[in-house]
Amino acid sequence: MIALDVRHLSKRFYSGQNPAVFDVSFTVQQGEILVLVGPSGCGKTTTLRLIAGLERPDAGEIYLGRQIAAAQGTFLPPEQRGIGMVFQDHALFPHLNVYDNIAFGLRGKPSAEIRQTVRELLNMVGLEPLAKRFPHALSGGERQRVALARALAPHPVLVLMDEPFSSLDTDLRLEMREQVRSLLKAMNASVVFVTHDQEEALYMGDRLAVFQKGRLEQLGTPEQVFQNSATRFVAEFMGNSAFLSGEVIPGGIQTEVGLLSQPVDLPTGSQVELAVRVDDLDFYPDPAGNAVIVERIFRGVQNVYRLRLDSGLTLQAFKEHITMLPVGQRIQAKLNPGHPLNVFPASH
Amino acid sequence: MNRSDAPMPPALVSPLQRLRAASNRLTTRSAFPVLLAGLAGLVALFLAVPVVYIILRAVGADGEAWQRLLQARLWKLLGNTLLLMLAVTGGALVTGASMAWLTERSDLPGRKYFRWMFALPLAIPAYIGGIVHLALLRPRGGMLPRLLENLLGQPVYTPSPLGFWGAAFILILFTFPYVYLLSGAAFRSQHASLEEAARMLGYRPLRTFFSVALPAMRPGLLAGALLVALDILAEYGTVALLRYETFSSAIFVQLSGRYDRSAAAVLSGVLVGLAVIILWAELRSQGRARFTQMESSWRPAPTIRLGKWRIPALLVAGGVAFTSLLVPVGVLTTWSIQAVLDPETLRSVLHSGSMGFSNFAWNSLWTSFLAALLAITLSVPVALFSVRHPSRISRFIARVCQVGYAIPGVVIALSLVLLVNRALPFLYATPLIVVIAYVLRHVPQAVRASEAALNQVSPTLEEAARVSGRTPVQAFVQVTFPLILPGLLAGGALVFLTSLKELPATLLLRPAGFDTLAVRVWVWASDGFYVQAAPAALFLVLISAVPLSFLLRREQIFK
Amino acid sequence: MSLPRIASLLFILVLLLTACTPASPATPEVPTAAALPESTDVPTDVAATETVDQPISGKLVIYSGRSEPLIQPVIDAFKAEYPEVEVLLKAGSNSEIANALIEEQANTQADLFITTELFTVQSLAQQGIFQPYRPAAADQLPPEFVDPNNNWIGLTLRARVIMYNTDLVVPEDLPTSIFDLTDPKWKGKIAAAGSTNGSMQAQIAAMRQLLGEEETEAWLQGLLDNEVTFFGGHTDVRKAVGAGEFALGLVNHYYYHLQLAEGSKVGVIYPDQGDGQLGLITNTTAVAVVKGAQNVSAAQAFVDFLVSEQGQKLFAEQNYEYPLLPGVPLRDGVQPLESFRLAEVNVAEAALDSDATFDLMEKLELP
Repeated sequence: MIALDVRHLSKRFYSGQNPAVFDVSFTVQQGEILVLVGPSGCGKTTTLRLIAGLERPDAGEIYLGRQIAAAQGTFLPPEQRGIGMVFQDHALFPHLNVYDNIAFGLRGKPSAEIRQTVRELLNMVGLEPLAKRFPHALSGGERQRVALARALAPHPVLVLMDEPFSSLDTDLRLEMREQVRSLLKAMNASVVFVTHDQEEALYMGDRLAVFQKGRLEQLGTPEQVFQNSATRFVAEFMGNSAFLSGEVIPGGIQTEVGLLSQPVDLPTGSQVELAVRVDDLDFYPDPAGNAVIVERIFRGVQNVYRLRLDSGLTLQAFKEHITMLPVGQRIQAKLNPGHPLNVFPASH
Repeated sequence: MNRSDAPMPPALVSPLQRLRAASNRLTTRSAFPVLLAGLAGLVALFLAVPVVYIILRAVGADGEAWQRLLQARLWKLLGNTLLLMLAVTGGALVTGASMAWLTERSDLPGRKYFRWMFALPLAIPAYIGGIVHLALLRPRGGMLPRLLENLLGQPVYTPSPLGFWGAAFILILFTFPYVYLLSGAAFRSQHASLEEAARMLGYRPLRTFFSVALPAMRPGLLAGALLVALDILAEYGTVALLRYETFSSAIFVQLSGRYDRSAAAVLSGVLVGLAVIILWAELRSQGRARFTQMESSWRPAPTIRLGKWRIPALLVAGGVAFTSLLVPVGVLTTWSIQAVLDPETLRSVLHSGSMGFSNFAWNSLWTSFLAALLAITLSVPVALFSVRHPSRISRFIARVCQVGYAIPGVVIALSLVLLVNRALPFLYATPLIVVIAYVLRHVPQAVRASEAALNQVSPTLEEAARVSGRTPVQAFVQVTFPLILPGLLAGGALVFLTSLKELPATLLLRPAGFDTLAVRVWVWASDGFYVQAAPAALFLVLISAVPLSFLLRREQIFK
Repeated sequence: MSLPRIASLLFILVLLLTACTPASPATPEVPTAAALPESTDVPTDVAATETVDQPISGKLVIYSGRSEPLIQPVIDAFKAEYPEVEVLLKAGSNSEIANALIEEQANTQADLFITTELFTVQSLAQQGIFQPYRPAAADQLPPEFVDPNNNWIGLTLRARVIMYNTDLVVPEDLPTSIFDLTDPKWKGKIAAAGSTNGSMQAQIAAMRQLLGEEETEAWLQGLLDNEVTFFGGHTDVRKAVGAGEFALGLVNHYYYHLQLAEGSKVGVIYPDQGDGQLGLITNTTAVAVVKGAQNVSAAQAFVDFLVSEQGQKLFAEQNYEYPLLPGVPLRDGVQPLESFRLAEVNVAEAALDSDATFDLMEKLELP
């Protein structure tokens, strides 16, 4: 069952400027978590707000289940869409305590039902003892949980989450991610989740929608998006790829750091670019090598090395943390991915 | 930073979040809020009509009236008014900022008490202060010269409160609290790191003050200065009492003298023009006069030791508090006691025509209260429109609503008299016209307070309410309104306070037998019956102190 | 135009007569019921002379050019007689009140107008602001103090005098004319009321008529050059002179008496009595019923009260004024007007020229 169907959605804020969202289409299945990911200003938050009804689209349609939420001539205001939303700054009502915040969306229901629902949710997010507290007396993580509980309390047909963890510390963020994901799955909630953090996207999403400058570049599972990036941008954004130029030859692709024997659907002689990630390159010390170590970044578990090839291109590769090679050392870099790489025709 | 798990104090939002919220706010809502814009527009219209009318009258006035005025008085009045404005603004700035520095940054003994003493003169209308000082210091006749003469056996020269210097002195005494409060808050929120950085770079403390602290306060000081300037422009009672002619008092005299209102309209037109210029400057500077956000890394700037300057500082601070607060209150109390003890005086205090003291007090209270209520109610749609839906139109409407600030009470009264009599005669000579004058003059304060209150409430709260199933109106009533209510109440208290003190418009517009306390004091005092005026004056000051202390308690420095 | 002229001719005639004849009370005409009794039986008698026989009650709105503390006792006495009436008073300067009356013509708010000088009330009468009413006692007043159309009726007279502080001035130095006030020996020692004060305005208007524009201007300029301090009202002037702040004060005569009653050491000069000199400038207070008044019966009752013996006595006793009703004794110490030579002012003409008076004051920037 489809929980959300977005078709050719477009939105422009200031006439004369580029559209914030252009021709975006996707669907969300019941019980699925779709993550909208991309750099800041790419239109993912605007798309979310269009779905919520906080903005009106210029073109396109939005269907919630079978109901039309927005189309030419029709617009359902946010309060009638039955959507739950968790805001970036959690937006808890400061004048209401935790209990009342969560119960806010349950108005009109019989009080016994309200009480039960709120209790359930408090339990789920683990905040039972804090029911009477006010938002200002809660920590950041607690607030986010209350915001989630509030959004989920009316059993919405769709849950929207706008970078909910961005204000939290790293450790807390990781912990919250896990908790929230399992909670959402337990409730079989349909979710549209927005983040700029690709790692978070990869973790949270059943599917990812990668945005750039208002357009949807690729829609697919995390693996698809990561391994089979549809566009250069997606390849670069996911996994921080660098681009290595190469030429198609009968056996594969010839690059300055080696031959990549990967079948490619382009005529011999075509110039291409390979998206190379930090795990795709290997190197060893060689006084006659093709690159020089210019920096060593100690990441605890690994050492990441920045290598400058003689051609001027800088690539990254990692070694275990005990392998420490000095800056300035000449090394021989070699392409050694162990899996297919993303290949794109060379852009000029 | 390890902030997230520690409970955060209220209203602390990281700059990043603020930025995001702000950028969200700035994107225009696609659905233009027609109803809201309509309401706000109506309010602006209501406020603008008297002003436009007076300008039309001024422009359309007989060329002869212009000529006569230009020849005789206009330049002199202009010079007088500007000179007074400069002197008082300068004096208020110096006094207010230096007193604020003393109470917020130095180790002045008794700081806690001084804070209240420097803020309380706001409860004393300047003309009442003028009355007291006039009675005390009037050359040859004042209480002080006579006392000195009796003591020393020969006439002693004491500075006269009359004329330019006297008027400037009195006005500085009773307007410096504006600057004091603004600077006090600015001083208090200054980061230690600012000055520490300067010190590390080799700046000595005094130079640090001038190069770092003062410039950081500049927006706030500028705002305070312009407020004072606008106040002086509108000032009538004090300058009339102390016999220094400015535009406002000249207009009043014109109204009392001539049978033809044109000359008054002409003067008013010029006055309005002058005020609008100042208002424009003030609105421009307002955008920058935000208090620095107190971030979680905030540490209070270190207290400066006065050392050998302790005694002189104490004397100066004491002197300011003495002349601006203790003397007026003390003298008023003494006179009031005198008045109450003398049955003859008491009788005339209590009655005028058929009206008694309780009538005056009641009149003051209910007109000011109604004005506050109306002003706040009218300000809400305007503030909502300009804060939540910023656009050229909303900014324009908000600006128009600020115009009342620039229009002195005399001019508002004049335009109301002319307008209402022709258009709404049933309204004329009812107390309601007085309330309307108050509202016209004070809606700007209310709009500012409402805008400030709204700015504190993130729009995502309203969005969260919308998403939770509330219509826009419900979202406002259930979420926004409870949160801005304290700010609205503060705005109301401010309007209440300033309406209580209002004099020139009330004098001109009141129907027969309807006197407020302010008018009563004025009528008695202008006939020389100071002792009789004292109980009403004292009562006025006391009831003004109530909303004032409510307002002050919201300021950090009084918690 | 002719009626005011007749009135002013009569006025001048009377002035001449009063100047020539000794001060003896004019033989009262057939005493009407209104003039006789002093007891609280007055209401029934007054009611008998009224033209309207509704009960006297309700709100009575009085616009007064007289300063409040001076009119208050009269109002209190009236209220004692008519406790059903609620008096609403609006006091201000004559011209301020006059402006209000003109402004409110289409939407009348006031019932009565009480003024401190005749020019304003004449001017307003000419503009049709008032409605006629002639109280019975009007027949007893000298006719020049009653508007021929009965639009207003005079109440009391006052004279412009120079009061002085006896500690500061020796008798030899006393000025004898208002023109002495421009003598540099009095520089900085004189107090007077300023341009917003009705009596001062009236004096200037009178002088303009008697002396012409130039001489009046010269005199005013002389005052300014002499650093005369101009107060807002005469109360301030009399208190200042009484306190010794100033040696001389230009006031209405009763302010001298009021100050004397407070125990101050003050004396008084009735100026310009010599041959060829101006004469004592006087003016008259008056009352008028406003056209379109809401409470005509109460207004007329008040007018009756003011010209009744009781009312006139109040003015004489409380305020040391010269009541117009014959037979009302002056307060002790008040010099009867008959003992002075009065200036001969044509009230009607001066009334026409009020704009010019204001122009003059403005031109000289009189404070």
